[in-house]
Amino acid sequence: MYYNNRRLALSIFWVVVGAVLVVLSVTEVLDSSVYAGMGGALMAVGCLQAIRNVKYRKDPEFREKVDIELNDERSKYLRMKSWAWTGYIVVLVQAVGVIVALVLGNETVQLVLAYSVCLILAVYWVVYMILNKKY
Amino acid sequence: MKNRIEEIRNLRGIRQEELARQLGVSRQTISSLENGRYNPSILLAYRIARYFDMSIEEVFIFEEE
Repeated sequence: MYYNNRRLALSIFWVVVGAVLVVLSVTEVLDSSVYAGMGGALMAVGCLQAIRNVKYRKDPEFREKVDIELNDERSKYLRMKSWAWTGYIVVLVQAVGVIVALVLGNETVQLVLAYSVCLILAVYWVVYMILNKKY
Repeated sequence: MKNRIEEIRNLRGIRQEELARQLGVSRQTISSLENGRYNPSILLAYRIARYFDMSIEEVFIFEEE
C-alpha cells in the first residue's frame, strides 16, 4: 500500500508549510517574492498528493494502476537507469564546467565545480563498496 | 533472449492488458518483452511460464551470443 496515513500527513505538512511561507511573504516578514512562489508550489504539490492519497483509498482501479506503476520491474529498471545516466551526465557537465571556468579565470566557480565532482565520485565509490559487500 | 510470449498469448486469445494484469506488470512491459527489447528477471520469467502452465525453457529461448 503506497499511499498510507504517513504520506497523507506529509502532504498536509507541505500544504501547511507552503501556506506559512505565502503568509510570511505577503505580510512582508520575508522580504522576497521567491518565498511566495515556493510556498505556492509546496501547497500545490501537497494538495495534489493529498487528492491522489484519497483517490487511492477510494478507487480500487486507481489503486491497482498505481501499485502496478510502482512495482512494475521494467519501470523500476528504467528509473534506476535514468538516475544512473543523470548522475553520469551531471559529472561530465561539471567536469567541462571546471575547464570552462579555468579558461575564463573564474577561480571560485572552478573550485566549487571541482570539489563537487570529487564529492560525487567519492559518494559513488562509497556506495559501490557498500553494494559490493551487500550483493 | 528470444521468447514465445506473443505466440502463446495469441494462441490462447489473451490480450496484452489481461496478461499484464494477471502478472502484476504494465502493458508496456509485456509489449517490450514480446519485442525482445527487455529481458525479464528470473522471477518474472518464472511467473510468465507458470501462468501459461509451461516450463521456462518452453517460453524463453536461450541463445549463446
